[in-house]
This record gives sequence, C-alpha cells and structure tokens, in this order.
Amino acid sequence: MSGCKTVELFYALVPLKPWRSLLIRRHIEKCPRCLASFASRETVGSLLVQEREVNISRPLWAEVESALVGDPGREMMKSRAVQSSVLRRWGWATATAFLIVLVTGFLLLKGFRPGGASPTAAVPARFELEYVRVGGQPANTVIYQPQGSDMIIVWAGTNK
Amino acid sequence: MDEQELIAGCLRGRMEDFRMIVERYSAPAMSLAMNILGNRDDAEDACQELFIQVYRHLKSYDKDRSFKNWVYTILYRRCLDCLKRRRQSAELVKKMGRETVLATPANPGHSHPPRRLPSDLLERLKAKERTALCLWANEGYTAQEIGEVLRCSDSTARVYLFQARKKIKKLLEQGHVWLQNG
Repeated sequence: MSGCKTVELFYALVPLKPWRSLLIRRHIEKCPRCLASFASRETVGSLLVQEREVNISRPLWAEVESALVGDPGREMMKSRAVQSSVLRRWGWATATAFLIVLVTGFLLLKGFRPGGASPTAAVPARFELEYVRVGGQPANTVIYQPQGSDMIIVWAGTNK
Repeated sequence: MDEQELIAGCLRGRMEDFRMIVERYSAPAMSLAMNILGNRDDAEDACQELFIQVYRHLKSYDKDRSFKNWVYTILYRRCLDCLKRRRQSAELVKKMGRETVLATPANPGHSHPPRRLPSDLLERLKAKERTALCLWANEGYTAQEIGEVLRCSDSTARVYLFQARKKIKKLLEQGHVWLQNG
C-alpha cells in the first residue's frame, strides 16, 4: 500500500518517460491496486470504434484506383520533368562556371587588377637592370616606382 | 494469399494484388483513423491518402518490418496531418470571427443515420495517446509494437498508453457526458 503511494509520488514527481516506463514495468503493471486506477482493455474497447463496426460509405478501392491509374504516367512525367529540370540546372551551372573561368582567365592574361592599375601594368616598356656599378664597384641598387606614376627611381649606392 | 506475395505482386505492377491489400486493410485502417480523428469523412480521406501513399512507397518498405505496422505508421502520419489541417482551419475561422464550420456535418444530405463517434472521451486525449490506446485495445499491440507505429521508444509508448488509460478512467469516474448520453 505504502509502496503504491511511493510509486505514485515518484511517477508524479519525475516527468521523465524512461523513468515512468520503469515504474510502470516494475510496479504498476504487476500491482492490482495500481492497475485499478487505469481503464481496462475491455472498457477502452467499448469506447472505441471496432473493426467489425466499420462501414465504409465511399467506394475506397475505386477512389484509390482512379487516383493511381493515371499515376504511373504522371509519375513518369513528374520524374522526367524533375530530370529535365535538374539537367537544365546543371547546364546553367556549367555554362556559368565556364563563363567565369573564361572571364577570369582573360582578365588575368590582360593583367587586370580590380583595385586599380598595377605598378607593372602602368609601365609602358620593360625596365631591366643587369648590373649597376658605382665608381667601378658593384653597388646596392633599389628600384622604386611611386604608385600611379610612370616615373621609376633607381637608387644605387656603395657600402662605404 | 500471403502478404509478402501480394507485396511482390504489387511491385511487379499487379493492381489486383494491390486491390487485395486495400481490401484487407480497409477496415482496420478505417477503425484506427476513426478513433484518431473521431470523424468518418476525415477517416475515409486519410485512408484514401494512406493507400495511395502505400502504393507509391511500396519499394521503400523494409521486409524485415511488419507490413501492418508500416501501414499504420503511414496512417498515423496522415491522421496527424489531417488534425493539423483541421486545427489550422479552426484557427482561421476563429480569426475571421465567424462561427466554426467544423461543427457542421460535411455532408448534410448523407443517407447514413448519425452514428456516435468516440469523440467525447477520446477528444480529451492527445493523438498519440488515442493511437496507442486504439492499437492496444483493438489490435492487442504491445508497447514495443506501438512504439514502432508511433516511431518512438517502447518506454515512451508505454507511458502514452498508461497516461491515456488513466485519463479515460478518470473521465469515466467523473461521470462524463458520454456515459450520461450512452
């Protein structure tokens, strides 16, 4: 009796389904006193619509069949439509990717930089220095081009 | 004819085999749907949707599972969809400030006599509790089988079932209107 009360208390206090299931399995299902507080199978069965009472007023099979007769065709059409839509999407994606690669390649080959003119791109002709000497001696050389200018400054100096 | 043979026949496109499946499961499916939905018209709609879906998804049926449970799982989902639609339309009607149209019969000229549906008591339960109760009382399902239909653990199914039984008992003890009318 006190065990039943304890189980009831624990059942109410801890609303966790695994815990409640454990209490049901361990105690409630086996205890006649506890089971008396639950509706029996017969009582529940008397409240429910039974299989033998079912009287389907609509011709269910006819409706299902009519819905399914056109179905294979529709399904095929649907699958074809889906397939063609997927193919079209892939086509567009490939074409777009190809275009992007083409434009990027073209811009790279042209030396294009979105941030503005690059220092090297602004130089009209190639500027090369093979060897710099100052006073007959090899010199330290610094080449400098201000941003946005065609001017190139060559700074050469000795270590002395 | 064996159920697996019927399924194999359906997969080969034999409509006759599918008709036999529909006939075999119409009554149990209808009783479950009526117990969940509490409404004959909605139950018939749910059953129609069920069989169409069964036919379309028969390829995905796992032969290791019980076919009946698989069918009931689909039906349960269809019933939940129906309840959701009903709730949404009720909310819409409520928002519009009109009287609910759900209370009126779907087909006033219906030739069948008005039949008492188990709506009074069962409406107090949640859909999953009603389903668990129906499977337990009508089909003799265990908590594990109920869990398979509801797609939950057997512990959860057991709790749903006992909650439902407890609520029913309480309502019956309170002298519910159903008893007075009955």
